[in-house]
Amino acid sequence: MGKTLRKNNQLTSLFDMEEGYSLTQAVAEADRCLLCHDAPCSAACPAETDPGKFIRKLRLRNLKGAVRTIKENNILGGICAVVCPAGRLCEEKCSSTEIDRPINIGKLQRFLVEYGWQIGFNPLLKKPANGAKVAVVGSGPAGLACAAALSKEGCEVTVFESARKPGGVLRYGVPSFRLDGDFTDREIKDVAALGVKIECGSPVKGRGAVENLLKKGFKAVFVGAGLPAPYKLNIPGINLKNVTTATDFLKAARAGNREKISRLVKNKNVAIIGGGSVAMDAAGTCKALKAAKVYCIALESMRELPAYKDDWLMAVDNGIIIKPQCRVREITGKGGAAAGVKGVETVWKKPGSCLPSNAKDVPGTEFSLAAGAVIIAIGSGPDRGLAEMMPKVKLTGRGLIQVDKKTLATSAKGIYAGGDAARGPALVVDSVADGKKAAGSIIGFLKGAK
Amino acid sequence: MRDLSIEFCGVKFPTPFLLSSSPVSNTAEMIARGFEKGFGGVSYKTLGGENTKIVHPSPRMRSYDYGGKKVIGVQNVEMTTDRPLKDNINDIKWLKKNFPKHAVIGSIMGFSKNEWRDLALTVEDAGVDMIELNFSCPHMSVEGSGMKVGQAFELVREFTRIVRETLKLPILAKLTSNVTDITEPALYAKEGGADGITAINTVRGLAGVGLDDFVPSLNVYGKGAISGYSGPGIKPIGLKCVVELAKKKELGLPISGCGGAETWMDAVEYLLCGASTIQMTTGVIRYGHRVVEDMCEGLSDYMDEKGFKGVKDIVGKALPNIHETSAFDVSRQGAASYDLDRCIGCGQCHIVCQDAGGQSLGWDSKKRRPIPDDEKCYSCMICSFVCPVGDPPVITFKDIKGKKPSIAAPIR
Repeated sequence: MGKTLRKNNQLTSLFDMEEGYSLTQAVAEADRCLLCHDAPCSAACPAETDPGKFIRKLRLRNLKGAVRTIKENNILGGICAVVCPAGRLCEEKCSSTEIDRPINIGKLQRFLVEYGWQIGFNPLLKKPANGAKVAVVGSGPAGLACAAALSKEGCEVTVFESARKPGGVLRYGVPSFRLDGDFTDREIKDVAALGVKIECGSPVKGRGAVENLLKKGFKAVFVGAGLPAPYKLNIPGINLKNVTTATDFLKAARAGNREKISRLVKNKNVAIIGGGSVAMDAAGTCKALKAAKVYCIALESMRELPAYKDDWLMAVDNGIIIKPQCRVREITGKGGAAAGVKGVETVWKKPGSCLPSNAKDVPGTEFSLAAGAVIIAIGSGPDRGLAEMMPKVKLTGRGLIQVDKKTLATSAKGIYAGGDAARGPALVVDSVADGKKAAGSIIGFLKGAK
Repeated sequence: MRDLSIEFCGVKFPTPFLLSSSPVSNTAEMIARGFEKGFGGVSYKTLGGENTKIVHPSPRMRSYDYGGKKVIGVQNVEMTTDRPLKDNINDIKWLKKNFPKHAVIGSIMGFSKNEWRDLALTVEDAGVDMIELNFSCPHMSVEGSGMKVGQAFELVREFTRIVRETLKLPILAKLTSNVTDITEPALYAKEGGADGITAINTVRGLAGVGLDDFVPSLNVYGKGAISGYSGPGIKPIGLKCVVELAKKKELGLPISGCGGAETWMDAVEYLLCGASTIQMTTGVIRYGHRVVEDMCEGLSDYMDEKGFKGVKDIVGKALPNIHETSAFDVSRQGAASYDLDRCIGCGQCHIVCQDAGGQSLGWDSKKRRPIPDDEKCYSCMICSFVCPVGDPPVITFKDIKGKKPSIAAPIR
């Protein structure tokens, strides 16, 4: 796929997604695997990926079988391999960490999925059509996983996506240097190959629109609407020009006017407010767009930083300055546009909580930074139109979709939900797990309804 | 999954993969688990005469490692079963009752003529589908047994004949590679009435010697011995023997291939060389029964890819391409070819060409790249063995039209 080998973790452009393993490298890495009994890595995956098995298959040169093991379980096995914080999941549990470094499970998984694509091997089989039509709202990881699982069971699945291209957060929230459009397209092709219809530019909106799907011949609906609405910060200067959110910034870098977004940060200092992986993604994107100094200002200490270690290490390797345990009090302006931030260092009032309300300013540590652009990366929340789209479905106090944890059924019959829209910010792999789980429930529901 | 069944000596095997007569086929309980994972049959651990008590040395095995690679071979001193005959017979009966579609082969080794006959009748009574005569264990402590029989061809014929006259079940003769030409004892076995050949048993070897105590590293309380060596390292010997047997026109018997198979690719190689079933032990010692899951899945995918309808269609496919070296067309010559754009400059190719090859490969020390010379290169290809870059390999063989055979130049 024409990827580059990333030397010393350096980002050179927005598009240099890291190169995957070659067969030789993958076999060498698989040779290090201890092939554990009751493999702990396999127990650590939220989506039930079985590295213990696919690595053994690779080791014993059963390569197609290894691809089968991954893809039969997780239709987005390639994407998960790329975006998963494996160091916190399967690789953390790897027995090899007791004697050496863990096996690079993510890269092995990515290699196998790409190998399958390369040789044109698609292991996925579909059961005969069962005549049931199911609608999926949103083509993010939860929606795609649910659609694929339902289609394999013989359902006729239509995915409704408001954006121009499918993928949701995978396409518009993750920078290309982590997961590029080609890779995403290729994996979504596997979903489409199962017969899933993905209708882009087809938002489900308006009063009762989700519930109306049930009246239009769909026997069940899965809502995987994600968390598209970025949280804003209530501080002076928030409405100045050149102040944006990470969600909008990353989306623009992926799909918008790239010249405009480049102008926003090129040769300027950029202050990013937030210490999560999305903040690091925004910071990396700024660097790739030739920003001058890039700061990530986080309330947490380095040890508590919500970003995955690989992500903040990459930021640091690319010269991004992380300012831990700081709070921005004000965005300063000049001529109506952002000119800098004023902040102060903080300590926690009580240990054990990283909530803003637990932070206490430290007098005498006030600072100000010159910044021609400010990006707010403090998370995002659910679509505020959810209540209108599905009035019969109960929402939580935070505006998330309320679901039965075991079945992912909402309060309305035939409507299921999962992924970030139901559980709040979570991993891609958690959303995949939800999509699969909901598909299982929907199949049960359809059988019961007959 | 494809139908992987194959008929071998008139017996149907659900898959061509067998647990061989060895520590991995010692009890019904372990064999049953192997069957569930995909083994299509078993050659049950060799039963010996009850009059000779087998006591095994301790320890029994030793791994042969290479660098970071574990178990590229195993040296062992296992002999025939040390369990009571009664227990083994009950186990065989239980297996046949619970796995009627799987093939159970009774492996036997008599220590006298009468014992061959008695053991044959006993395992027949237990309900085995076939008999395998063990003429090949290379380290029996019982005088005049195992490999010693396999090296005395008349005894191979005589013991096979005794069993043949005793029963009608298909008979396999399991032969040793520790002979000059394995087809000789095979022909004797055929004369005695064998229906098929199992080849090979372990090869005699010595895995290592302790540098401090001077005792071989399969160290049985201060003593070592030459004994059976198995595993991936002996696969080339196993394949060779299978080919020799398969190509021997006067023989014409089906073959159960054995020796170092671990992956489905190894198994396919055995099939291509003329084996109809593949037996294994060391692969199971290294990985457990799960290896056979990958053998079944891999074989099935291979058959899909190549359009083979049945396993039998693969058997012997390579034989027409295996010749005596005198048949090679030496008028055609080539050289090693280098994709220098992908070279990483480690220089190992240059070292080995200078010290062990044709001394043809130069070295640009500024660019850190080899300088090939097609004329001088005599295509030993050792440079390609050590090149670390793959997918596709940087160093490959290329034909050079009109090239004359290269000869190393004399010293000036």
